[in-house]
Amino acid sequence: MLTCEQVAAQATDYMEATAPLPRRLGIWAHLRICPNCREYLRQLAQTIGLLQRSPTPPPDTATEDALVALFAAQPKRD
Amino acid sequence: MAGEDAAVLARLRAGDQAAFRELVRARHGALLRLAGTFLRNRASAEEVVQDTWLAVITGLHSYSGEAPLAAWINGILANKAKTRAVRDGRMVNFSALAQAEAADDPFEPERFLADGHWANPIRPWAAMTPEREAGDREMLAVVAAALETLPPAQRAVVLLRDVEGMDSASICATLEITEANLRVLLHRARTRLRAVANSAGNAP
Repeated sequence: MLTCEQVAAQATDYMEATAPLPRRLGIWAHLRICPNCREYLRQLAQTIGLLQRSPTPPPDTATEDALVALFAAQPKRD
Repeated sequence: MAGEDAAVLARLRAGDQAAFRELVRARHGALLRLAGTFLRNRASAEEVVQDTWLAVITGLHSYSGEAPLAAWINGILANKAKTRAVRDGRMVNFSALAQAEAADDPFEPERFLADGHWANPIRPWAAMTPEREAGDREMLAVVAAALETLPPAQRAVVLLRDVEGMDSASICATLEITEANLRVLLHRARTRLRAVANSAGNAP
């Protein structure tokens, strides 16, 4: 049986599905009986969720307008 | 190409300024953030993003549509940023950075007992319950701030994989790193970000 430390070390490989099947099965079996590791992986997933929702600031109006003007100045094609 | 991308591309190729404005609003901040992983100098990063937009405008008709629109733009940005970094005398080699960041940074956020069990139980984050939107916003801010403090290669892979949702092969090609590099960097970065979120999530 894998230890919690081993599961934590391989958590990314498990979540990205890059670990070989036998290893993934070992982690899966550990997760079934270990609430701490289940919570740990859930928190990694929550962290990724937070990253996906982290806002990027929009450009300032002057930059945005300058870029649109550049786009508008391009000769049209069809 | 996804249907949504195809529709946007058709509008852009037809010269639809509103479509381009939307694209700039959606992508400019992300491009600037990505450029920042290659170039520490803010002015250089801004110039590279400008150059990238110009290349997008002139390249719209030759873009094959094979890669998703955002990935295509990220690829242009990465190439221009690398060229600029060389010119600035700051060659970026993510492969070397990957190895250095893996070696220099024995980050151990959690303690384990000698038998490999967690030393302390992993407690769910009190701040992230559906009822507590304020706590949720705080967690977002904490993770976003922690992202800025990651070493460059770790920041780059998190931006491309977790924030941008790019596939592994495209990320490896963009950053010129191996799949093994990518996995190690991603693991270290996510482990570190979770640890930061954990401190905030269980703050009294």
